[in-house]
Amino acid sequence: MFAQIALGTMEQGLMYAIMVLGVYLTFRILDYADLSVDGSFTLGAATATTMIVGGTDPWLATGMAFIAGTLAGLFTGILHTKFKITPLLSGILTMTALYSINLRVMGRANISLLGSQTIFSDFSKLPLMEEYGVFALSLISVILIGSVIYFFLQTELGLALRATGDNELMIRSLGVNTDFMKILGLSLSNGLVALAGSYVAQKLQFADASMGIGMIIAGLASVIIGEVLIGTSSIGRTIIAVICGGILYRVIIAVVLQLGLEATDLKLITSFIVITALVSPTVRKKIASWSAGVAGKEAQ
Amino acid sequence: MLNVHEVLKTFNQGTINQKIALDKVCLQLLPNDFVTIIGSNGAGKSTLLNAIAGNFLVDSGKISIEGIDITRLPAHKRAGLISRVFQDPLSGTAASMTIEENLIMAFRRGKVRRLRPAIGSKERDLFRVELEKLGLGLENRLTHRVSLLSGGQRQALTLLMATLEKPKLLLLDEHTAALDPKTAEKVLELTCGVTEQQKLTTLMITHNLDHALTFGNRTIMMHEGRVILDIKGIERTDMTISRLLEMFEKASGSHMNNDRMILA
Ligand SMILES: Nc1ncnc2c1ncn2[C@@H]1O[C@H](COP(=O)(O)OP(=O)(O)OP(=O)(O)O)[C@@H](O)[C@H]1O
Ligand SMILES: [Mg+2]
Repeated sequence: MFAQIALGTMEQGLMYAIMVLGVYLTFRILDYADLSVDGSFTLGAATATTMIVGGTDPWLATGMAFIAGTLAGLFTGILHTKFKITPLLSGILTMTALYSINLRVMGRANISLLGSQTIFSDFSKLPLMEEYGVFALSLISVILIGSVIYFFLQTELGLALRATGDNELMIRSLGVNTDFMKILGLSLSNGLVALAGSYVAQKLQFADASMGIGMIIAGLASVIIGEVLIGTSSIGRTIIAVICGGILYRVIIAVVLQLGLEATDLKLITSFIVITALVSPTVRKKIASWSAGVAGKEAQ
Repeated sequence: MLNVHEVLKTFNQGTINQKIALDKVCLQLLPNDFVTIIGSNGAGKSTLLNAIAGNFLVDSGKISIEGIDITRLPAHKRAGLISRVFQDPLSGTAASMTIEENLIMAFRRGKVRRLRPAIGSKERDLFRVELEKLGLGLENRLTHRVSLLSGGQRQALTLLMATLEKPKLLLLDEHTAALDPKTAEKVLELTCGVTEQQKLTTLMITHNLDHALTFGNRTIMMHEGRVILDIKGIERTDMTISRLLEMFEKASGSHMNNDRMILA
């Protein structure tokens, strides 16, 4: 019983880690809080499940989910860079538009994949993979994607992306089209988020029009948890931190559920985690300056 | 070399805050010219450099470098020709990235960024040699984040980044104003060394009248969006600061009014 829950949590954690890597690309690398994520997660799930039900090969359907996600990111990027809409609003606009689009894609509010062939059912047919197929495929995917991002961020293009998030004026004066870099980052990020959505849908064997709600906050919480616990001293370390943050977040959720809280309370808990993480540096500073003030007065 | 022809720039056109920052400015630079720019606060010095670098497009007029018309080019497409150092030491480098990462981005200034590993051992060797010339010990800290450096170190690094790949035109906007006097001297010394060695064409804004006359081969004064004085040759060699201020008052009809101005 426990082993099963633990395995299931790990599987989900690894899949969500793919989404968290996407959020990391925008939130940390580009310094862009992209809310499209809620919509593109569902978009990935909707695209993959609809295609699979329609008879498409699940691997191809999963690839198409990624591409659909990149298009969503492209849209957000164009809204922001070409039409000068603020990052937050661009994301919200895409997210809202995607809600309708996702329903159009699916044709109804949810789709069941019960009995359908998925990437996991395929993978589980490999020798020794009967029981751990979902886990192994998710693990391989995360390691692969994490490595690709790691190497990408050391390339000329990757450095330009990082500099765009760090000092836009400077990298533009060095000849980089920062609009293009933002669009590239947003596309990659939403592609990964949609890919994660397609994984989760195939594992749960259904897609639902509202399954992406709150995904951005879950992603931010995961990034923050990982960074706080593991650190950000280098790009490699940060990527590992972010992946672990994604897994750990699912573990926390699983534990909280085991303790008897309702699934519907999860969003509240997640918001609370993010608020704590965002507020704690300011609070710490306040306490520090307050105690310094007290010390100063005492010295007088 | 650089030709700025009747460039006009109005900020907040048509509003109550309308401000003509560049009023039909004309300026021609010969190759190897090192021109210092002085003037009151709000005279339009930074705006002139921003117009040349392409931070915004000008309302009318023409800007060209070596015969290439750049008037309508966005900033990132001018990068192959122009490099610059800003006043704020924080604005010339990416703080979260390492020294060598910053250098390689500058090394590829104006070139297409490819999907290939950015830094090789050849570049690293070059960076070490170049950093050693700064005399700040940065050659042993290639993989340190720039956020760990002091303002002066960052400004020296920015200067190196601006000249690592020789630009056609170097723009310096009070690039030592935010540094303590000793560090400022050091960065100026480095500036002189590199401009001479690479025979760079340079525009340097300064608030230090002494520097304005001792550095470079030509000094221009700006006032209310116009170039009101242009001093070079023997006239400049014989120039003193008090004479310079006198000329400014005569040409502009007012005192030079710069809160950062240093007379000697
Ligand atoms: N982006 C902008 N928007 C509106 N007005 C601006 C802008 N940039 C500059 N100005 C105005 O244009 C005028 C010229 O400014 P500029 O920064 O070029 O002066 P400066 O000669 O560099 O002065 P300082 O010595 O103080 O640096 C000023 O009146 C300034 O308020
Ligand atoms: Mg200025």
